[in-house]
Amino acid sequence: MPAIFTVDPRSGVPLYLQVIEQVKRAVALGTLSPGEQLPTVKSLALDLTVNPNTIARAYRDLERDGIIETSPGRGSFVRANGAPGEARRAAEDVAAAMLAEAIRQAKALGLERERIGALLEDALGRWFPAHGEE
Amino acid sequence: MEHSIAIRDLTKRYGDFTAVSGLTLEVEPGSICGLLGPNGAGKSTTFKCLLGLARPTSGSIAIEGAALTPATFEYLGYVPERSALYEALTLDQHLEFYRRCYARYDAARANELVDMFKLDRKKKVGRLSKGQRTAVALILAFSIRPRIFILDEPASGLDPVFQRLVLDLMIEAAAGGATILFSSHQIGQVERAADRVAILKNGKLVVNGSVDELKTTEKIVEAIFATAAPDVDGLASDPRVRRIERSGRILRAYVSRDSEAIAQRFEAFSPKDVSIMDLGLEDIFLTAVDGRDATIPHGDKA
Repeated sequence: MPAIFTVDPRSGVPLYLQVIEQVKRAVALGTLSPGEQLPTVKSLALDLTVNPNTIARAYRDLERDGIIETSPGRGSFVRANGAPGEARRAAEDVAAAMLAEAIRQAKALGLERERIGALLEDALGRWFPAHGEE
Repeated sequence: MEHSIAIRDLTKRYGDFTAVSGLTLEVEPGSICGLLGPNGAGKSTTFKCLLGLARPTSGSIAIEGAALTPATFEYLGYVPERSALYEALTLDQHLEFYRRCYARYDAARANELVDMFKLDRKKKVGRLSKGQRTAVALILAFSIRPRIFILDEPASGLDPVFQRLVLDLMIEAAAGGATILFSSHQIGQVERAADRVAILKNGKLVVNGSVDELKTTEKIVEAIFATAAPDVDGLASDPRVRRIERSGRILRAYVSRDSEAIAQRFEAFSPKDVSIMDLGLEDIFLTAVDGRDATIPHGDKA
């Protein structure tokens, strides 16, 4: 069975954070449904070829964040209540950080606030067409 | 918690040459620790001391809290730098030798491993390639289902498919509770399999910590200025700064921690842009073995 997602061990982003983000993303997108069982630490470590303690740490943090729940002997599951909401909030945090970084770089390139705003409007128009025009 | 592997203040001298100097390194149960370092940094000397093949000049080695004895090898799997195999014996004869010597020898597991590495059981080890000899050493090491592994370059000479197999075997063993200390020149292997990394330079430990914690704290802070990059007072002597690069309008600091604080110091000189960049383990390694010679502990809170 293919891994439910991939990670990039060579990246400077800590692996446990990559696993956390991938699980949150899968829950936000619905690839992982509420109540669905996650792979065991061992099988996910082997699927991704990464250290098992790294996976275990990601699972602990996901449990703390209310995304998954673990019951001894049964395994880890996407929380039936609340997980999609938590995952959506987490996804918003990631999106906000990416937008902030893009704006920082645009500013560093010497663009004025108004110009950056116009570019954002253009980009929004491409992904949310005909907003308020019909 | 008792450490599975504990090296305390290990020094090993050969005549006037100090191969390892004051090395303290502990590996907890279930952890995989990758040992990195340039050639001659002291990795293999450390492994020789760990396996009782060299006597420490000073300092101590403890495996599961006790000094090394012949009984330790009942549950310790090892691959030394130069394979300790019998040239005139076949793989089958090596396995027979292990079956007689080790109470924990698992014949079914050994057969699985032989199939995985696709080795000829009837060929004399002296006629095998370097990679095949590494594979024989690995099969023997894993055949006794050890609690502790000490592996000096366990993937040396293997092709990428078998290198990945070695990582899978280590990950599977660690998931089952085994503790592993291994060395490698391939940083990508450490980045995948290890949760801890230790970097040696000239016999001294220069980095020791959790791989993920290192990636959290080790950063490049880069500032771009409208004119020539300024001299930031005291930057070179800041213990958090491993290395500084200045080139025209660009100022770059490789920092071991507190990247936000360093970025704020740069902001005071009104740069056009300041950014903080992540570092992969390869860059962390190169910075550590290039930079100043100091021990920078990391991630002990993890």
